[in-house]
Amino acid sequence: MLESGLIIRALMRNKIGALLIALQIALTMTIMVNAIFMIQDRQQQMARESGINEEDTFYLTNTIFAQDYNIQVGLQTDLNAIRKTPGVVDAIQINAIPLSGGGWSSGLQTEPGEDKDGIGTAIYMVDDHAINALDLELIAGTNFSPSDIGWRLPAQSAWPAKVIITQALANSLFPDNGQSALGKTVYISNNQPMQVIGIIKNLQAPWNGWSGVERSALVPFQMESRSGRYFIRTEPGRRDELMPVIESMLANSDKGRIIRRLSTMEETREQSYRQHNATNKILMTVVSTLTLITAFGIVGLAIFSINRRTKQIGTRRALGATRWQVMRYFMVENFFISAVGITIGIIGTVSLNYWLVNKFNMTPLGFELIALGVVTLVIVGQLAVLYPARKAALISPATATRTV
Amino acid sequence: MLTMKNICKVFQTSDVQTHALRDFNLNVNEGDFLSVTGPSGSGKTTFLNIAGLLETYTSGEFLLDGEDVGKLNDNGRSRFRNEKIGFIFQGFNLIADLNLFDNVDVPLRYRGFNAKERKRRIEENLERVGLASRMKHLPSQLSGGQQQRVAIARALATDPRFLLADEPTGNLDTDMAQGVMSLLEEINRQGTTIIMVTHDSELAQRSGRTIQVKDGRVSEAAAFNQKAIA
Repeated sequence: MLESGLIIRALMRNKIGALLIALQIALTMTIMVNAIFMIQDRQQQMARESGINEEDTFYLTNTIFAQDYNIQVGLQTDLNAIRKTPGVVDAIQINAIPLSGGGWSSGLQTEPGEDKDGIGTAIYMVDDHAINALDLELIAGTNFSPSDIGWRLPAQSAWPAKVIITQALANSLFPDNGQSALGKTVYISNNQPMQVIGIIKNLQAPWNGWSGVERSALVPFQMESRSGRYFIRTEPGRRDELMPVIESMLANSDKGRIIRRLSTMEETREQSYRQHNATNKILMTVVSTLTLITAFGIVGLAIFSINRRTKQIGTRRALGATRWQVMRYFMVENFFISAVGITIGIIGTVSLNYWLVNKFNMTPLGFELIALGVVTLVIVGQLAVLYPARKAALISPATATRTV
Repeated sequence: MLTMKNICKVFQTSDVQTHALRDFNLNVNEGDFLSVTGPSGSGKTTFLNIAGLLETYTSGEFLLDGEDVGKLNDNGRSRFRNEKIGFIFQGFNLIADLNLFDNVDVPLRYRGFNAKERKRRIEENLERVGLASRMKHLPSQLSGGQQQRVAIARALATDPRFLLADEPTGNLDTDMAQGVMSLLEEINRQGTTIIMVTHDSELAQRSGRTIQVKDGRVSEAAAFNQKAIA
């Protein structure tokens, strides 16, 4: 017999302590579930694929300082040398690196005109080796041919006639049928036409927090710039070995420039999501600390309650309660306090989540996360009360006859 | 019904041994009303604790209702207390947060009676002590004498074979003490064996039999009172 009625009636006559713990549990539940929700949201963001091969790729910056330097010749020489290096799969010059935080964007639209809304798109200026160098998956259409590649000169505003876009961008441009984008003409800079010749499965933009991070376009340009990035893909497992080799080869082959900022895509991803990781760690620390404080609160209340009721517990033992029945009394009592706290906590959790969803345009949390919070706090409550309850169960029934 | 043979109880601290009971011998028959008197520290409460299975003893033999209770484990002692022993304490030991109904309900729940049976027993026993009309009151709303009556109702609710009363009138004024004593006498007349520890020699005289405990021994056993003889 669980004594539920007696426990509830006794609790109702000593509400304050129990209510404070219940509120603490409610607060913990509200913060815990929403913090885990935010952690999960970040983890989902971090788990998204960039669309490129991150394990076997790296990039570097080539900065030219020599005067009268032939940039176009120098670029072709460098790329040829890199591509010929044993162990290198392919290499390109690229204007921006996915997830790096810096890049180019422009609006693409399906109809020309300044009054038309463009779809924000990350622009990657690359040559016909890009799909191989980045290890992208072309799901429709064709790659650029060498003759498609033009030079992007400083201050140039004209765009090439062809473009390869991601599936997500195709779906945004043509919501009714993304696949129909192939062969269609889209417009950049309001009215410059570009024909979609290929669709790639995925290529993330340089900005991980951008809502349009999956919308990217490959534009067949090589840049005549005194500072450019080379992106290199190696055979599997040979990246780290080849990084210093290529750095040294480039540095030694031409003394009119410097090679710097070697970085792997894995490092870029780590840096890109460093803040996410740090925030998740902070949130986990907050959640753990709060849960621990709540557990200590339960232990404290239970010990206080037991010390206050030592004689009562002795009397219950004298009247026939077994040790287990005494222990169970405190565990059931804690369960009721937790139940009240959790009920208030569910209301708080949903309310806070509703605010977060509206404020930060997040997906609402699922029932399973609330269920997880409920189960966690019930378990934490029961574990926290275990020691005090056991202490209570060991109170001698002879305590009942003691006058002090 | 209760037989103690050479019961010893030794409290052991790190460097001191205290003999609370030494070769304590006693025989209580069914229907007895036994008063246990003696000076403070004589071992009365230790005797009561051992008799009520609230404490274990160090050596000796103790038969209660024909059972060698020395062989019972903690759960067995709890069950035995619940089924066969009713306790009345000097300080009443009612649970302050529960009303009279719920206070009497406590041992009945440990016994596992269903709600209907518990209600019947609670009402019957509160009626018996004259407090049926106040069953929703809290103990703090009652006088000391009334609280002790509730404690008696709680003790009787499980139909125990005997009652153990530890200074049941110790916290009551004379009038209330007389009332409680009369109630115990009536309960005894109805067949319940009572063992009562008391300092009050006048009350002890009203029981059928009195023993005196001194230095942990029964110093004056089986002294029948005049009233009982008459």
